[in-house]
Amino acid sequence: MLIHLENIYKIYGEGMESEVRALDGVSLTIDRGEFVAIAGASGSGKSTMMNVLGCLDIPTHGSYWLDGQDVRELSDRQLSHIRNKQIGFIFQGYNLIPELTALENVELPLIYQGISPSKRQELAQQALERVGLGTRGDHRPSQMSGGQQQRVAIARAISTHPPIIMADEPTGALDSKTGLEVLTFLQQLNREGSTIILITHDNGIAATARRIVRVSDGKIIEDHVQEVDWL
Amino acid sequence: MNLTQAFKMAFKSILSKKMRSLLTMLGIIIGIAAVMIIVSVINGANKKQMEYFESMGTNKITVYASLYNGQDAFNEVYTYCKGLDAVLGVTPNSYVDAVVKYDAKNSQHMEYSPQIYLGNDQYAMCNNFQIQKGRDISYLDIQNYNPVCVLGARAAKEFFDSANPIGKEMTFSGNTFTVIGVYREKDPTPQWSMDNIIVIPYTASRYLPSQGSMSEFTVKAKDSASIKPVISLLKGQFSGWDETGKGSFDCYSDQQWQDSSNQMALMMSLVLGAIAGISLLVGGIGIMNIMLVTVTERTREIGIRRAIGAERKSIVVQFLIEAAMICGMGGIIGIAIGFLGTAVTSKLIVQQVMLPSPIITISAFLFSVVLGILFGMFPAIKASKLQPVVALRAE
Repeated sequence: MLIHLENIYKIYGEGMESEVRALDGVSLTIDRGEFVAIAGASGSGKSTMMNVLGCLDIPTHGSYWLDGQDVRELSDRQLSHIRNKQIGFIFQGYNLIPELTALENVELPLIYQGISPSKRQELAQQALERVGLGTRGDHRPSQMSGGQQQRVAIARAISTHPPIIMADEPTGALDSKTGLEVLTFLQQLNREGSTIILITHDNGIAATARRIVRVSDGKIIEDHVQEVDWL
Repeated sequence: MNLTQAFKMAFKSILSKKMRSLLTMLGIIIGIAAVMIIVSVINGANKKQMEYFESMGTNKITVYASLYNGQDAFNEVYTYCKGLDAVLGVTPNSYVDAVVKYDAKNSQHMEYSPQIYLGNDQYAMCNNFQIQKGRDISYLDIQNYNPVCVLGARAAKEFFDSANPIGKEMTFSGNTFTVIGVYREKDPTPQWSMDNIIVIPYTASRYLPSQGSMSEFTVKAKDSASIKPVISLLKGQFSGWDETGKGSFDCYSDQQWQDSSNQMALMMSLVLGAIAGISLLVGGIGIMNIMLVTVTERTREIGIRRAIGAERKSIVVQFLIEAAMICGMGGIIGIAIGFLGTAVTSKLIVQQVMLPSPIITISAFLFSVVLGILFGMFPAIKASKLQPVVALRAE
């Protein structure tokens, strides 16, 4: 198993009357090569779950094993390395850096790996070509459409060839056609072996995943494998 | 992370906000330029002052001595000093007023009339003059009351222009003196030049009407270490004159002038430098302020970078480089203005274009970069402490 959450709590203001349990005793196991959709309404705790899974946030209680490592025992530096090497993030708002060109944005995670400039340009270019933007490397995010920006973000996520791809509402800001393209691409990545974790509030989008984990009030209320709409 | 990349990023970020960056730099620019101008001009002026002291002759002790019985005190001082190993020479150093004429030239019609000094065969040595043409005053000239004179370079030019003055006869208040020599030029400034002098044997002053009592002498010590002992010997020997009513005596060293001039320059450098330093401090605080704003504005970017794997260290380095680069750029502009300002100010103050020394220039640049790092530290650390989740949520 690649990911194993055991009794995870994320509590804000613990012990106070106003305490909020964003995650309330969650246990979850995800194996290598799975395509899991974490679905839930807004405020259900799915984003907190994504943050915990993505090593962006530390749970209050419980243990999280990622690839055999206890994440709660890792230093900030080691967590940075995990985010850099093991996980590729795709966000709803693309989260590209506006001052950088598409190619430079895709290069960023490679820079933090300390890869030489010529090598990382080559890798970044490859990633851009995979998302069909091979000729747009010198464009800035502001010169691109939403769909193109999200493809740059995907290229950035896959440029380091991480085993896990985490997509947080990746289609949220896109029209249905370009949203579909993004989902198709995620399915393709999954077929090639990547573990995909897709966070969404939209059941239609959740239907593209092989396994669906439904979250409500910080608890998992449903977890089952389903027939997939292969796009 | 990769430093080249960090420099590139910082440069982009500074360029993307030109106006703000320039305003931020202003404090550093003004501070660095002010420090450079102040230090360079004071150093230069002091150096020039030292050169001036040097050319007037070093290790000099000025003696004021007069006897109430109307006789010259010089012989007593001279005889006593002759017996001291630490003394190289003794000369009268008084001057007399006289109308100097040669041909149609008349000192009364000159803007800067030459000063007539009463000297002896040691006058040149004590005052750091060297004979260029002819000969110096000799012991025999003193003995025989010879009406001869030696001209300073400026006086020679005033009266004879390019002609050879040796052997020519000048009149001082109607009395004829023969020019026997010319001193080498040592002070090129035209006004109040120490070359605008005429030296005659002090015994020959008897031919001149305005024969004031000769009371100022110069004693030249062997070296600067001998000055103090010689002064105390002289005082020990002659200060009794005041008590016994025989006459008056005092002596002091030019060394004190040099020391106090040096000290004054140092004091001025420190005081003005401190004022300029305050402007640098204010500039540094400005940098800190703007970097804090930048960090806040770029919280989301920090979040993105942290999410895709930037360590805290990388974030610190990125913002430190940006702060150091702003200050470094400000420093370079400040240095350029400092060069210009030093040239203009020194031209105005000491009539000579001077430029800051390489040491001052390099220190100014390094100082501005260090300032950036120092004041950028707090914002950079603040940026790196942002939690990735919190930073990503920022708009």
